[in-house]
Amino acid sequence: MLYLSQVLGRPIRDLEGERVATIKDVIVRLGADDHPPVTGLVARYRRRDFFLSRWRVSELNQQGVRLNSDILDLRPFVRREGEVLLARDVLDKQLIDVDGKRVVRVNDVQIIETSNDWRVTGADVSLQGLWRRLAPHGFVGTARAVEVLDWADVGYLATDAATVQLKSSSDKLSRLHPVEIARLAEALSYHHGSEVVESLDDETAAETLEEMPPEHQVRILGDMDEERAADILEWMSPDEAADVLGDLPEEKAEELLGLMEGEEQADVAELLPYEDDTAGGLMTTEFVTLPRALTVGEALARLRDMAETPNMIYYLYVVEAEESWRLRGVIALRSLILADPKMPLEDVMRTEFQRATVDEPANEVAQRIAEYNLLALPVVDDSEEILGIITVDDAMEILLPKDWRQRVPKLFG
Amino acid sequence: MAERRAAVRAAGRRLMRRGARGVRRTVGGRQRLLMILAVLGPGMITANAGNDAGGVATFASVGAEFGYSLLWILIPITISLGVVQEMCARMGAVTGKGLADLIRERFGVRWTALVMLALLIANAGVTVSEFVGIAAATELLGVTRFVSVPMAAILVWWLVVKGTYQRVERAFLLMSLVFLGYIVSAFLARPEWSSVAWGLVTPTFKLQHAFLFTFVAIVGTTISPYMQVYVQSSVVEKGVTADDYSKTRTDVWVGTIFAIVIVFFIVVSTGATLHKAGIHVDSAAEAASALRPLAGRYAESLFAIGLLGASMLAAGVLPLATAYSISEALGFEKGVSRSFREAPIFLGTFTFLVAVGAAIAIIPNLPLIRVLLVTQVINGLLLPVVLFTVMRLVNDRELMGEQVNGNLHNLAAWLTTIIVTGLSVLYILITIFPGITRLFG
Repeated sequence: MLYLSQVLGRPIRDLEGERVATIKDVIVRLGADDHPPVTGLVARYRRRDFFLSRWRVSELNQQGVRLNSDILDLRPFVRREGEVLLARDVLDKQLIDVDGKRVVRVNDVQIIETSNDWRVTGADVSLQGLWRRLAPHGFVGTARAVEVLDWADVGYLATDAATVQLKSSSDKLSRLHPVEIARLAEALSYHHGSEVVESLDDETAAETLEEMPPEHQVRILGDMDEERAADILEWMSPDEAADVLGDLPEEKAEELLGLMEGEEQADVAELLPYEDDTAGGLMTTEFVTLPRALTVGEALARLRDMAETPNMIYYLYVVEAEESWRLRGVIALRSLILADPKMPLEDVMRTEFQRATVDEPANEVAQRIAEYNLLALPVVDDSEEILGIITVDDAMEILLPKDWRQRVPKLFG
Repeated sequence: MAERRAAVRAAGRRLMRRGARGVRRTVGGRQRLLMILAVLGPGMITANAGNDAGGVATFASVGAEFGYSLLWILIPITISLGVVQEMCARMGAVTGKGLADLIRERFGVRWTALVMLALLIANAGVTVSEFVGIAAATELLGVTRFVSVPMAAILVWWLVVKGTYQRVERAFLLMSLVFLGYIVSAFLARPEWSSVAWGLVTPTFKLQHAFLFTFVAIVGTTISPYMQVYVQSSVVEKGVTADDYSKTRTDVWVGTIFAIVIVFFIVVSTGATLHKAGIHVDSAAEAASALRPLAGRYAESLFAIGLLGASMLAAGVLPLATAYSISEALGFEKGVSRSFREAPIFLGTFTFLVAVGAAIAIIPNLPLIRVLLVTQVINGLLLPVVLFTVMRLVNDRELMGEQVNGNLHNLAAWLTTIIVTGLSVLYILITIFPGITRLFG
């Protein structure tokens, strides 16, 4: 087993043991492998950098490199696609540890020699790793076991080398809960945070964005390729998407809205006109309405047949007739399931229920939701037509004090 | 649901037009809000955090000792402070990373360890000065520091670790506004404005130990190493990006000028009262007496409240910021919500700084004002390490792209760096070999 810090700066010797150059960096190809192979070295000779293929290397250890021939082909070093330089791009940089769900800094890189090549097996994130590099050469610290992070758990490498982000690493990230992905992305710099979100698939990216503060949603989507941003917006819940569009510059918002698919576009567009701090600004358009003439059994059948059910189906909203929006009553899913399938909805629904008007202050509505222990509250216009619903999670965001929600305390003021 | 969607789609076009109106409205509202926030941005807060216990003590003694004759320093120091703060704020906005992060990523472990050590020493010094400030303030109010300092240390530690520090922060900030009283006091003391103006435009320099000591202390207290780390972190924390950086630049310069204006009036009011009367500032009571033209016999209480607020504020923030920087740079777990087992280095550093600060401040018969000045000198001496690092980072094109320093900016920044370094070296030489001044005749 070898550490990067033990190799850097060591001599490169030819067959006769003559020192011909020094090791400046180790090149690794990131790919589908969990443990990426070493493809070559950057050799430094007379203040210039040369590429040394791994096929020319017969030994790589703490004493340095032994070449397998006397002929030294001095090709200048050029980075190829998918290649990372361990010293330059990995050492001292941050990465996401998918297993530990945290952002760590790489103190050293572990390399293991296998039957026919060298592979990067892990990132040393321990104090010992730091000490190994701080202390003079040959000075060995404690023999305590070091904490090495398996390279297979690296979800994202926060480096500025643009070409190295990989599909496989975003798959690893997707295994995490969007709340965790959001938290990890926020711990990185804003460039890298955006990169993390962009590397996810549309659905996960949308869910992750929903867990971020509005300013960050706006920045990330605003800087993204428009087509991609529109795709992600379609996956977001309409109320969140409308909030983001409302915060973007006007031209950008209209462009993104224009790029969205018909249905999602209409859902979002409907929410845009309402002010942020009113019930209209808080509501979402994802809800289920059922005509009052239906029986309980028909209603349940209709729910089952629905192509996509909204997140919030704990309440079903009973309207006057098909194509009508006149709100007549509310049924909790629980009562629907428990009721006799032959009963008409009219007899099961509650006609006395809490509702909000579109221009009611958001704060009051949120308080009402908390007070009555509701999961959602319908929003109606002057003629009692339902426009949307406000769900309890959006209400909570208003009610909870800001610093309570940020579990990691802010550094300054 | 399907019916509903169909109906909505039909209305889609019309709604889109309505939507655009909504967009316009919200955007308008947001910009107004940003304008207001810009006034109290990171630059403003950081520059004025410099006017803490050490700052007030330094400038009060400058005014008392040298009258108006050192006022001229304020002009170059405004430029230097602004230039240095602006570079760090810009790095924060462009890279989205803190100073400690950047040092680690660009210069590796050894240089990071060196800078962090310098920062740790400098910040330990400043933390000591904050607790000394608490001691001085409470003694003016009639409470012995053997009671007040340990209590303050426990309170600060507890508030920060419990995560409730932010709630009381504002109270401390309000208390420290008392120092604005120096502005009024300066006018009420009726200084000869012509000599004030003369002092502001005629540079004087003496190659003496006392003079250099004061000089380095002024530099150290105005351009403290922690402020660079602090301003960059808060810019990152606030989520400022390269695109909306221009507001932050304004904020940094406005904050710098505002902070120096307060310093100016501290020097003028102490110059007009203490210097005239030939009083040296050896204790907090003497520094307070410069507020007499404003507050009469309440001057001491007023001064004590301001000093206590400013010191309590920094006594919490500074050890915390240091612990964050060090953990960040060396990659340790950080955050006050962690336990000692999870984040030993982070909480250890924080606790160590608070404990050391408080322990030194309760040493019996400690010459408080002198200690305050010495800690500022340590700051000044360690500043070159940070400044050189900042200069290398900010001119790194790979990091900053087009946002590297311009020529004029580089000139001012390098002049600052070289002069500060020169002063530090000179001061160290003069301290070790007192006879050296004779060489210059």
